[in-house]
Amino acid sequence: MSYHVIVIGAGSTGAAVAHDLALRGFRVTVVERGEVASGTSGRNHCLLHSGGRYAMRDPESARECIEENMILRRIMPEALELNDGLFVALDEQDLAWKERFLAACEECGIPAREIPVRQALALEPHLNPNILAAVQVPDGVFEPFRFCLSFLATARRNGATVLTYTEVVDFVFQGRTVAGVRVRDRRTGEERVIGGDIVVNAAGPWSGRIAAMAGVDVPVVPTAGVMISVGRRWNRMVINRLNMPGDGDIIVPQRRTAIIGTTSWRVEDPDFIPIPEDHVRLLLDRAERFIPGYTRGGIRGIFAVARPLVGRRGVAADGRELSRTFECFDHAADGVEGFVTITGGKMTTARAMAEKAVDVVCAKLGLEIPCRTREVPLLSYRAFFD
Amino acid sequence: MPTWQLRLLRGRPGGSPRLEIYRVELPAEAYLIDAVEKIWAEQDRSLLFRHACHHASCGACGVRVNGRERLMCITPLREFSPDRPIQVEPLRHFPWLGDLLVDVSPMMRRMAEVGFAIVRQDELTADRPLPEGIERITRFEDCIECGLCLSACPVMAADEAYLGPATLAAIERMLKEPRGGDTARLLTLADDPHGAWRCHSAMECTAVCPSNVDPASAIGRLRRRLIAERFRRWIGGGR
Amino acid sequence: MKEAPRWKRASGWVDLRGRREGGLAFLLMRLTGIGLVIYLFIHLYVLRLLAQGPEAWDAFIAMAKSPLFLALDGLLILGILYHALNGVRVTLLGLGIGVPHQARLFWGVMALTLLVTAIAAYAIFTIAG
Repeated sequence: MSYHVIVIGAGSTGAAVAHDLALRGFRVTVVERGEVASGTSGRNHCLLHSGGRYAMRDPESARECIEENMILRRIMPEALELNDGLFVALDEQDLAWKERFLAACEECGIPAREIPVRQALALEPHLNPNILAAVQVPDGVFEPFRFCLSFLATARRNGATVLTYTEVVDFVFQGRTVAGVRVRDRRTGEERVIGGDIVVNAAGPWSGRIAAMAGVDVPVVPTAGVMISVGRRWNRMVINRLNMPGDGDIIVPQRRTAIIGTTSWRVEDPDFIPIPEDHVRLLLDRAERFIPGYTRGGIRGIFAVARPLVGRRGVAADGRELSRTFECFDHAADGVEGFVTITGGKMTTARAMAEKAVDVVCAKLGLEIPCRTREVPLLSYRAFFD
Repeated sequence: MPTWQLRLLRGRPGGSPRLEIYRVELPAEAYLIDAVEKIWAEQDRSLLFRHACHHASCGACGVRVNGRERLMCITPLREFSPDRPIQVEPLRHFPWLGDLLVDVSPMMRRMAEVGFAIVRQDELTADRPLPEGIERITRFEDCIECGLCLSACPVMAADEAYLGPATLAAIERMLKEPRGGDTARLLTLADDPHGAWRCHSAMECTAVCPSNVDPASAIGRLRRRLIAERFRRWIGGGR
Repeated sequence: MKEAPRWKRASGWVDLRGRREGGLAFLLMRLTGIGLVIYLFIHLYVLRLLAQGPEAWDAFIAMAKSPLFLALDGLLILGILYHALNGVRVTLLGLGIGVPHQARLFWGVMALTLLVTAIAAYAIFTIAG
């Protein structure tokens, strides 16, 4: 078999899709307009979800998270900090959610266990001493750049070509079938056509823009969020607020920093997102409730990026109400053959997204090749530079 | 909102690089990476630069700011005056790919040669009781492999074969906590004219490191270890 | 790690932009080192005069007492002192000793170098002059 698949985007989704395709024997070319992970994936909150965060509101997404969490621990240990997470009740209102939270976690298959407040405080001495309850879940932390590089390194070892700083400027059609993409090498300015049997759009919040180039519509809602990184790692475990997901309710530790996030608002252009000053104030305010003196080590960085949330066609909701699950669109349904979009989801579920997208690709080509990405360990991210 | 002046090194290999001024409006709370990204988004789509995480974890956005190696994502604009241009150039001692972009693969290949483990036991939790079900808490090593130390090191300028501060610091970390690594091989790698002995103590690696690695001290400890190994061999009678 | 032409790249060590005390100390160490090597050859060349009899030597000594020559002696002492004292600093730092104090050590080396050079210069000009 020598079908050639072009993947647009080298974020977590594109990287995982490339890996899955290469493993199933496809010829693969990844085109990415910037550096690997220079979009949404890089500026991720770095949270390896246990699913706890979505257990109550979005159980489908929660189930995906815990399943993928356990798979990633096996296949990319080098890109993960295994430090677990705590859901803490800051007030009576939070405490009222506890039983429902534990039940929801159980329902979704998330191993959650309440630990005594005293034990939680012994482990996390900077945590607000007035917390009322603590539940431990298998959250973790990843390094987003290395996450993507590991997938791409393995894909390359299996024959994939990764072209960074190469921007898609147009689609090439044969009738109503996508036959390739026209790309511009941003280093030389030269344009050329890359022919392919299938094009997979994995451009995250930009996937709407890419799809528009092919004349189809993808209901992706770029929804921005702000995160703030401080000069000290105050917490060892990921600290979540035991409540429905909201603004500024999670502090993710990583290496020597702790990152408070996030907020949520809809943006039109994900290329550059100005950071609203009131969001910064709100986050710092909320962080103070978890970890008094949060900014004592100084603020290290403030950043924002757009999530690619999938809107339901005809549903006007956005932001927190939208599911974090993912969707794969075969645009044959829109009258365009040879073109697939995979979007939505979380970085934690990138592998599952890839599995679904490549299943669709196989089905389109009439192939039956099993997915092996659950079992195959990834190479070190450094192998990307071989 | 203040208008900042950035003087960026532009050009492609084969041509002659030049410095060009850009003006960009951003609040003083923004960072240099925001300014460069905004210039790319709104003024010049051909601008090449590396970035990913925007919080000094990925190590991608290293450049020289007014001559000094910095990560753009943690360089706040408030450090500068809007009246004077902020000069941004690519890192030195890496193959240049154009504008602010360099090829970091030579460094990555050396790090891969060391086989430096990147996850370690969280030293802070080592002495605390862990909740049931957690065997250990891990965290990433400090080194983010950004290459600032290689760019700042004057010896790198003169010796292409020099292993460089990041790699030597990685070797020293591995020797301290081998995690299954082959220590004899690492010692051989370091005990070389282009290894630990090539350092001339200019101390710039430690001065520019954004991630508490302190390569200069690590190289010192590595040399003490190498000297001790040699003494051991003499006393042990050869080998 | 190839980038610029070799000669351009090799000149990188004299580029002080963005550098701090450590880089300055390194540059001065190299420059004084090169200076001392050149001095050594001049010194050996001059000693050759001893083999040519007392006249040649006395003529040289007379020149050596000129103020310009004495000033060069001062410069030589400056170079030797800096190179020797910073050599001690670099030896310690190279073994990982005193790294957090490297900048202060550099200024200490500079202060001591200038102080002793000043005393030496005073002595040279009052005794020889």
